[in-house]
Amino acid sequence: MEAMDSRAVQHDVADSGQVEKEVLAFLEAQTKRSWDPQVDLFASGGLSSMFAMQLVVHLEQTYRISIRGADLRLDNFRTVTRMVALVQRLQGAQ
Amino acid sequence: MTDALTAARTMVTGLVGEQAEGWDRSGVLPRELLTKLGSAGYLCPHVAAAHGGLDWDSARNGQFTAHVGSLCSSLRSVMTSHGMAAWTVDRLGADGQRAALLARLTGGDLAAVAFSEPQAGSDLSAITTRIVRDGDYVVVTGTKSWSTAAAYADLIVVFGILADGGAGAVVVPATAAGVRVERIGDPLGCRAAGHADVHLSDVRVPADHLLGGGGQFMPLLVTTALAYGRMSVAWGCVGILRACLSAAGAHARTRIQFGRPLGSHQLVAKHLADLLVAEQNATRACEHASRCWDEGSPDQVLATVLAKHVSATEAARGAAIAVQVLASAGTRDGTPVARAFRDAKCMEIIEGSNEMCQLLLADHVLAGV
Repeated sequence: MEAMDSRAVQHDVADSGQVEKEVLAFLEAQTKRSWDPQVDLFASGGLSSMFAMQLVVHLEQTYRISIRGADLRLDNFRTVTRMVALVQRLQGAQ
Repeated sequence: MTDALTAARTMVTGLVGEQAEGWDRSGVLPRELLTKLGSAGYLCPHVAAAHGGLDWDSARNGQFTAHVGSLCSSLRSVMTSHGMAAWTVDRLGADGQRAALLARLTGGDLAAVAFSEPQAGSDLSAITTRIVRDGDYVVVTGTKSWSTAAAYADLIVVFGILADGGAGAVVVPATAAGVRVERIGDPLGCRAAGHADVHLSDVRVPADHLLGGGGQFMPLLVTTALAYGRMSVAWGCVGILRACLSAAGAHARTRIQFGRPLGSHQLVAKHLADLLVAEQNATRACEHASRCWDEGSPDQVLATVLAKHVSATEAARGAAIAVQVLASAGTRDGTPVARAFRDAKCMEIIEGSNEMCQLLLADHVLAGV
């Protein structure tokens, strides 16, 4: 019941487990490999800044958020976990 | 909205008239022309209506950009730089910054973006311009090269590095103390686009001129800002090709050699077919990229680079063909195909050279997609 109540209050914020699953699926589809939610995606040999921009557009479109200004820091996209936190923060702020 | 596009095209056609050749020769666009187009919102038509813009989607903006590009690539280049400045403010600015700056950029003030430096061309990670926080101010020092439209700009969006290694874009008034804008007098193409080197020596501007407070990731910052410019250049190249097609077609229909029109000679006819293919290839690549933008698809990142590369190379190839068809009539400086020939070559260099685009496209292949 508690979970339902909290969902009723924050009905605009997507479930974090669900977002994590979706972002991992997007990454896998785009890169043809699987990723750990905690792994640094942009560490050496990882993904490019072009891909970072693809992620920005994907998250904006999928979760109806706008990622602007200071939020265009790499830290927000470094891991899947960070992206989930960003999505939740921006959805909550709307 | 189609009426709005028609009205915009009619207005620009009327304002440019037969003057593009003269502007190319003198290397200067009339300020009054730029102010008029800027106040009508036509230099950055993507800006939201709430900020004084026209709220145009990428497809409509692209069609308009192609039209301007078919008339005068110098004017289209000013539109590209001003549009990128507005796009950067929109993406990076906090709410207050967006409201204040976009009102100016849709109200007649002109803006330019400044990325390149003497030692940072294709490799923008080598940018050394410093943005130092100092109380309620930031202090900007560095040299920017080949900033398009900077010679006309009231505001210059300067990309630099902060003390903590993060990146930032700061809006610098061209009249601020310590700013020196040095016009490049003899560019190969887009001769009236106001290219300039911008020297910044301890330029103090209020800290709220630093978009979004700074601290962004430089490659992401640059990729974001360039994305708009690449679309604008790509559609501008479609315009170059349309101007070439029109000039070459008219010439091949009317010029008589060996007792018949040029176009009925098979080798000349092949040129016309090649030119049409170039224009159509570029148009389709741009339409696809704009559709990706308007749908919010992540594929827009790749489609933008592809459109820029296809359009620039097709424009350079097509313009060379058009000069060949017009022959001596096309080798007079300032004429549409002569301008196209020089302008299109520059489009293979700006906003990601052919080789940089090829590297990005190859990365995509290597990523296994």
